[in-house]
Amino acid sequence: MGKQIDLLQGTLDMLILKAVSLGPLHGYGVLLRIQQISGEQLEIQQGSLYPALYRLEHQGWISSEWGESENHRKAKYYRLTAAGRRQLQSETDKWNRQAAVIAGILRTKAEEI
Amino acid sequence: MSGLARLCSWGQWVVQRRQLESDMDAELRFHLQQSAEDLVRAGVPEAEAIRRARLALGGIESQKDAMRNSVGIRWWDDLWMDLRFALRMLGKGPAFTVVIILTLGLSIGANSAIFSVIDGVLLKPLPYPQAERIARVFYRSGEYAKFPMNPWDFLDFRAQNRSFESFAMYTHADVQLSNTGSDPLKLSAFRVSSGYFRVLRVQPARGREFDFSEERPGNGNVVILSDRIWRSQFGAAADILGRKLILDSQPYTVVGVMPAGVDHPGNSYNSVAYGDTVDAWTPFTFEGDANNRGSHYVEGIGRLKSGVTVAQATGDLNGIMTALASQHEGDKGWTIYTVPLLQEIVGSVHKMLLVLLGAVGLVLLIACVNAANLLLARSAARQKEVAVRAALGAWRSRLVRQMLAESLLISSLGGALGALLAIGGVRVLVSMLPPGFPRTDAIHVNGFVFACTALVAVATGLFFGLVPAVQASRTDPGQGLHEGGRGSSGSAAQTKLRAALVVGEIGLACLLLVGAAAMFRSLVNLLRLDPGFQPQHVLTAEIALPNENYKSTEKTAAFYQTLLSNLNTLPDVHAAGAGTDLPWTGYDENLGGFTIEGKTPLPHEEFHARYHTASPDYFRAVGIPLLRGRFFDGQDSKGKPRVLIINDVMARLYWPGEDPVGKRITFNDNPKDSDWFHVVGVVGDVKDAPGSKGAEPAFWWPVLQQPFPFPDMTIALRADSDPMLLTEALRAKVRELDPCLAVAHVRLLDRIAEEQFSTPRFALFLIGLFAALALLLAAIGIYGVISYSVSQRMHEFGTRVALGASPGNLLKMVMKEGVLLAMIGVTIGLGCALVLGGVLDNLLFGVSARDPLTLMAVAAIAFVTATLASLPSARRATTADPMTSLRAE
Repeated sequence: MGKQIDLLQGTLDMLILKAVSLGPLHGYGVLLRIQQISGEQLEIQQGSLYPALYRLEHQGWISSEWGESENHRKAKYYRLTAAGRRQLQSETDKWNRQAAVIAGILRTKAEEI
Repeated sequence: MSGLARLCSWGQWVVQRRQLESDMDAELRFHLQQSAEDLVRAGVPEAEAIRRARLALGGIESQKDAMRNSVGIRWWDDLWMDLRFALRMLGKGPAFTVVIILTLGLSIGANSAIFSVIDGVLLKPLPYPQAERIARVFYRSGEYAKFPMNPWDFLDFRAQNRSFESFAMYTHADVQLSNTGSDPLKLSAFRVSSGYFRVLRVQPARGREFDFSEERPGNGNVVILSDRIWRSQFGAAADILGRKLILDSQPYTVVGVMPAGVDHPGNSYNSVAYGDTVDAWTPFTFEGDANNRGSHYVEGIGRLKSGVTVAQATGDLNGIMTALASQHEGDKGWTIYTVPLLQEIVGSVHKMLLVLLGAVGLVLLIACVNAANLLLARSAARQKEVAVRAALGAWRSRLVRQMLAESLLISSLGGALGALLAIGGVRVLVSMLPPGFPRTDAIHVNGFVFACTALVAVATGLFFGLVPAVQASRTDPGQGLHEGGRGSSGSAAQTKLRAALVVGEIGLACLLLVGAAAMFRSLVNLLRLDPGFQPQHVLTAEIALPNENYKSTEKTAAFYQTLLSNLNTLPDVHAAGAGTDLPWTGYDENLGGFTIEGKTPLPHEEFHARYHTASPDYFRAVGIPLLRGRFFDGQDSKGKPRVLIINDVMARLYWPGEDPVGKRITFNDNPKDSDWFHVVGVVGDVKDAPGSKGAEPAFWWPVLQQPFPFPDMTIALRADSDPMLLTEALRAKVRELDPCLAVAHVRLLDRIAEEQFSTPRFALFLIGLFAALALLLAAIGIYGVISYSVSQRMHEFGTRVALGASPGNLLKMVMKEGVLLAMIGVTIGLGCALVLGGVLDNLLFGVSARDPLTLMAVAAIAFVTATLASLPSARRATTADPMTSLRAE
């Protein structure tokens, strides 16, 4: 495992939405998916995962249903709702704008001012 | 959108709690299994894998708690916990709980019941579309606050006003329906101008409204019937339109039928109350001289244009009135009075209802203070428990919340009890309402009332719970635990607070007692008055002679003369009379102006009095005493010298210091000798209502000399035995003379008289009830405080006994405490009564709420109550055992 990046405050929700936007996942799957697509650079605090899932479901951005896992266990699967898709889009836009602005600031050299 | 989603999700959590909890478990279990399996696959031993998986996820319970918190269900769980705890606590002191719930329930119930009446009568809009735009229009002068309009003036107002969308007038004119095959029937009927129903915005269910052409003389023989009459008299015939009816012996054509439930808007002159039955409407036809502006008998009603205020409309009409006054002598001296219809209908009870609401609100306030007081006492007893919990780290906010949960639970139970009581209470209240009370049909306990009840319950719970809760949460753990040793003695601050609450209770109760006492004295004053007539053993009934058959004064007079002489032969009849008016049944301002021989009126004034006619035995039948001269007799007939009987007020007004008998007045401007009327008698005064300031000047013509026909008369039969038994004989005698006549409104005169007292009686009953409840609550408060203080001081009392105090000393000591509370409370209460007493002034007769005798009586009642409430505790103090106290030291 390489060096891990700490998760910025408030970004967990966005990552969860992104993870389930790629296909329905159970809670453990969300964890694995985020780790996998981050190239194992991100590790989610497991303790905050389930409260976050419940919060997102409560807000109507993801929905859940019980299904069967790869190894034939009963598991609760989450999927993105239409409202969740809009939320993810707006969060992504916001994030990109912020990142661009901050990156721009950080790139600034003395002579540019 | 997202708010709705959250609400749904939250609701699901509340409803499917068990399922969702087990889902939560299953989900976390699945996570642990998967996580452990992956670790095993990576080569970790199984036991270690399970341990690591657990560790990564964190504590299951705290995890679940965080998940619950995510969906906002935590506070709900806490609430349940608080409530369960509160329920356990209440169960521990059932007597205490029952007392608070009962007192709160009673006062919340009483509030809801009174509020239901207010909601139905004052707040609910009238059942006409946009009823708030309907206004009644009257004339006004220095002498008369409300006076009917002149019909010709009405036409000018209707044509010239710029404020009303539609403007109409109406006048009460009952008719007799006689060709239906059954007995002739007197219909309550109104003559209305075209557009009357447009003002009310109610359309005939069949047919049409009157048009302008039907206001012209000769075109007016058309009628609109009520749904009730259409069904009851015509079997709801589909072909009713166009049918010919005989009304007052005249042919009329039915042009419309109103739908069921059209409420009469009420009228003032020959009044039919709002909502009372009206069965037929005929067009008002404008006949005679358009320059005759002196007679006033029609009532104006209009629908304001949107955005036009009553004040603007009044200004508009006053402008027209001023112009009219410059053209017509009869229009001088009048201004316009416009009043919203609802206010006109409920104005008479508005004040009383608000006073009742205020009174019942005070009772609720006292009940709250009482509950706070009892809760404080309890929290003192629980000080130790609270101290322990505070010491163990319970948050203060959490402690306050728990105490509040307790008070809210109590108040909710009280509110539920109150709602039940209100349902029953409103029924009782409506059945007790005085006759003529407006809009009783609109009074119901409805959702709005229940919502208000719930709100009041929650508010009271917060109100009476907050003080004890904050007090208790301030408990210093160290001190609380320390004092725990010997029955904690409640801090001095708390004792003071409780004493202050009791003082407040006594003060408020005094305020209500003053109101009740003043109302009691006012009713006694009213009942003690000499009514001016003798209402016992008199049967009354109304007869209306149809104009067509009794056109002349001779025919009308002859009918009544024959009928009365026939009635006077009945064995049980003591006196049979007929008159145009009965005492205390309302009046119209039928003023007659006249000239008095040898007197000239002051400039801008004229001699006038109310006119009536009466048969010779009318005064004997009604029991109005003769003061001077004589009653009419059979000799006062056509062709004989014209005579009058006047009342005492008229005698004293126009012949001060003289004997009016033998004096003459006339109604002609250029009288011949035969135009003069001799005053032959002076009778006692009868006021319009028992509480009226004074009687109005009035005179009577003999029936046989009536100057114009009075077809509608009231028969009065004074009986030797039960007057009700004469009803059939009366009907038979009338039928004998004219089978087409209806005998209407058969009533006993003492019933009519009784009704005049029903409103003050009703108000007194309720205020008295509330005052009694308040006094009881205050007594409970005093008892609670004194008994607590005694239980705290038993040790001290024992010591005192040991030092030589007698039981009498102890008794006095404790009683002094109660009386001191009462003294402060009474002083404050009576002070408030002096300030607020004016509110009651125009509900009272012959007494003021600030009357010293009333205030003293109230103070006495409060002191006796305080003494009685402290007595049991004082007696207990005398049983203090010196040995117990000494041993404890």
